[in-house]
Amino acid sequence: MNKKIVRIFLRRVLSSAVVLFLLITFIFFLVRISPGDPSQRFISPAFSPQLAESVRQSFRLDEPLFNQYTVFIRNFAAGDLGISYNYRRPVLFVIGDFLPFTVTFALVSFALQLLISISLAYYTVKRKNSLTDKIVSGTMLAAYATPVFVAGVILIYIFSVQLNLFPSSGIAPIDVHTYGFFRKILAYAHHLFLPFIALSMVEVAILYKYLRDNLNDVFNKTFILNLRANGIKEKTILLRHVIPNAANPLISVTGIELGILFGGTLIVEVIFGLPGMGRLTIEAILTRDYPLVIGCTLIAGVLMIFSNLTADIVRAKIDKRVLIGALN
Amino acid sequence: MKSRIKIWHFILLLWLLIVIFRFDRIIDAAGFLFLSAQLIFTAPGFVFDQLDFSMVDFIVSVKLIFLLPFILYIFRKKAAIIFRSSNLSSSVVILLLFGFIFSPVISNTHPDFYKNIGMTRLLPPLSTVLILHLKEVATHTEGATGNFLKLKESLIKKPFDEKIIFIDSLIVADEVVYYQKGLPVKMSLTGIEMKNSLPLITKRMFILGTDEFGRDIFTRLMYGTRTSLSIGFLAVLISLLAGLILGYLAGYAGGVIDLILSRLTDMFLAFPVIFFVVLILALFGNNFISIVLVLGFSTWMSLFKIVKAEVLSVKTKDFFQTAKLIGLSKTRLLLREVLPVIMVPVIVNIVFQYGNVILAESALSYLGLGIGNELPSWGSMIESGQEYIYKAWWMIFFPGLILTGTLLAANSIGRNISKYFNPRLD
Repeated sequence: MNKKIVRIFLRRVLSSAVVLFLLITFIFFLVRISPGDPSQRFISPAFSPQLAESVRQSFRLDEPLFNQYTVFIRNFAAGDLGISYNYRRPVLFVIGDFLPFTVTFALVSFALQLLISISLAYYTVKRKNSLTDKIVSGTMLAAYATPVFVAGVILIYIFSVQLNLFPSSGIAPIDVHTYGFFRKILAYAHHLFLPFIALSMVEVAILYKYLRDNLNDVFNKTFILNLRANGIKEKTILLRHVIPNAANPLISVTGIELGILFGGTLIVEVIFGLPGMGRLTIEAILTRDYPLVIGCTLIAGVLMIFSNLTADIVRAKIDKRVLIGALN
Repeated sequence: MKSRIKIWHFILLLWLLIVIFRFDRIIDAAGFLFLSAQLIFTAPGFVFDQLDFSMVDFIVSVKLIFLLPFILYIFRKKAAIIFRSSNLSSSVVILLLFGFIFSPVISNTHPDFYKNIGMTRLLPPLSTVLILHLKEVATHTEGATGNFLKLKESLIKKPFDEKIIFIDSLIVADEVVYYQKGLPVKMSLTGIEMKNSLPLITKRMFILGTDEFGRDIFTRLMYGTRTSLSIGFLAVLISLLAGLILGYLAGYAGGVIDLILSRLTDMFLAFPVIFFVVLILALFGNNFISIVLVLGFSTWMSLFKIVKAEVLSVKTKDFFQTAKLIGLSKTRLLLREVLPVIMVPVIVNIVFQYGNVILAESALSYLGLGIGNELPSWGSMIESGQEYIYKAWWMIFFPGLILTGTLLAANSIGRNISKYFNPRLD
């Protein structure tokens, strides 16, 4: 049994790795066959063509495509993703500057989203067809349909421009390093409140919809009635029986959503000027910083696959039938 | 609670509104149509020289304005949906369709029209500006062709107009002094169009305000409908064809093809789609066609999965085996046996996809990777409004509202369709 599980796990990891490798190869060739020259940013037409050529040489862009690829693969196998053209530092270090913020922000906002949507879904499912239920469901529908950038800009207008309650960009005040620990946390929370709301509206609506439907289904099952008839406490029923049964489809969704969050929430980062992976990726693409593009792709893909895998493991942990299905 | 207003009531109401508010324009347009019909016989070469996209566009929408009540009446049996009671989503869809078809008739300016930016920039909704008309230099010849050109000029709007000046107020004496933002400008009476020996002055109202170049937001929103809806339609068509054909191939043939296509889908799904789209657009340039292609080819994965799963299950059914043994070709098998079975999930998926593509297009425009400046787009309107957020809330509020309404409508229509075909859901 255990051996089998390990084998399945390894197979998943291996096939994910193959997919990732294909993805990187695809991006590698895509950026290089595209029109445009990265060295153009660093020289002006006034300079001599020899200089342009030497810049291209320093980027190793003068070699044949296939040679570039073999060099890239050799370095990649050694854990070296190259040096970013813009930052003049190893790609992994550049990403290391941006990744912690993205991961922290993604995890914290994801936990809060889960908490909000679970409590909302539980609250409304208990009061089915009441006024509160209708209001919450309607609001969730509207929140789902509101594009992130519209929500973000309108939030800035209301809370930053009109009410002047929250800052409209950045993640902390300039003198944040002088603050004590708790004040630091407060300052970050103050700055990240609006981005969090803009980001979470859609996500909460998605999670809420799934949870609400599933909870409704499970609450109507006969075994819940049986448990109630046996005098089990509502709280125990909820925690031990309802949520595990309702969680199964939700967890796959959360895996995908978390993966997308890890990849960087591009539009929120652009609106609120946050230093995250999304903006780094876009900047790398727009300035044709090839090594950085590939590094960002790799990280986004790894995190995506990692969160999907985690979701599957959690699902198998909660529901043994999933595991048995995977084994056969 | 169901509203008593049926969908066709709503359509007729909008039609009446257009007819009432644009009555003179429609009458002129009728004259224009009559004149051009005449000229086709007398001077066909002249008419075809004048023909361009904006003229065809205008003629089509004017004709549809005239024909709309008859069309509704004739097709009342076939389009029985118009007898349903209207709700929010159907109203939004009808509004969008009206904007799509009738925008040349409804709006009386070109979407890119601007003049006297200092006078008209960032005007709040419902503000009015006076217009001073300059005297027309008689360039057109007399006769039918001259009339034709004159009417065409007044009906089909251009992005520029030399004959009007936006003003605050004016004083008439020996010469005219008009004020623009409090600054007086002198002008002799000879250059000005007169009516009853006074300068001809009309009012122009900007219903939803103006943007930073003094362009009318209402007009731009309406033309933006065209952009969004057509991009959505074309992209969904591409993704439908790709998903259907590839899914059928993978499900029917299996083996190596299935393996390759499934890995490809995994690859696309292992990476947030927006980055892929941005990558392609940033590297290969962004215009209307590239956006349609990229959005079409980046959204076929969910359809592929649905079609493949359905084909796999249909393949084992008796009716499919029989049809295959009779000797139907693969195309006919797909069209006659598989398509009717997978119709419902595919339609539901398409409707949701449509909303997603419209959203993606505006998000791209917001990031500056949209269709560029040649066509107005909701996303780019929001993007340019963000800079003026301290002064002009209307620049982001109205495009945001209409975008949200569109997405809401797409979502609720998709859910209604799936509910209609699977009544057991909820």
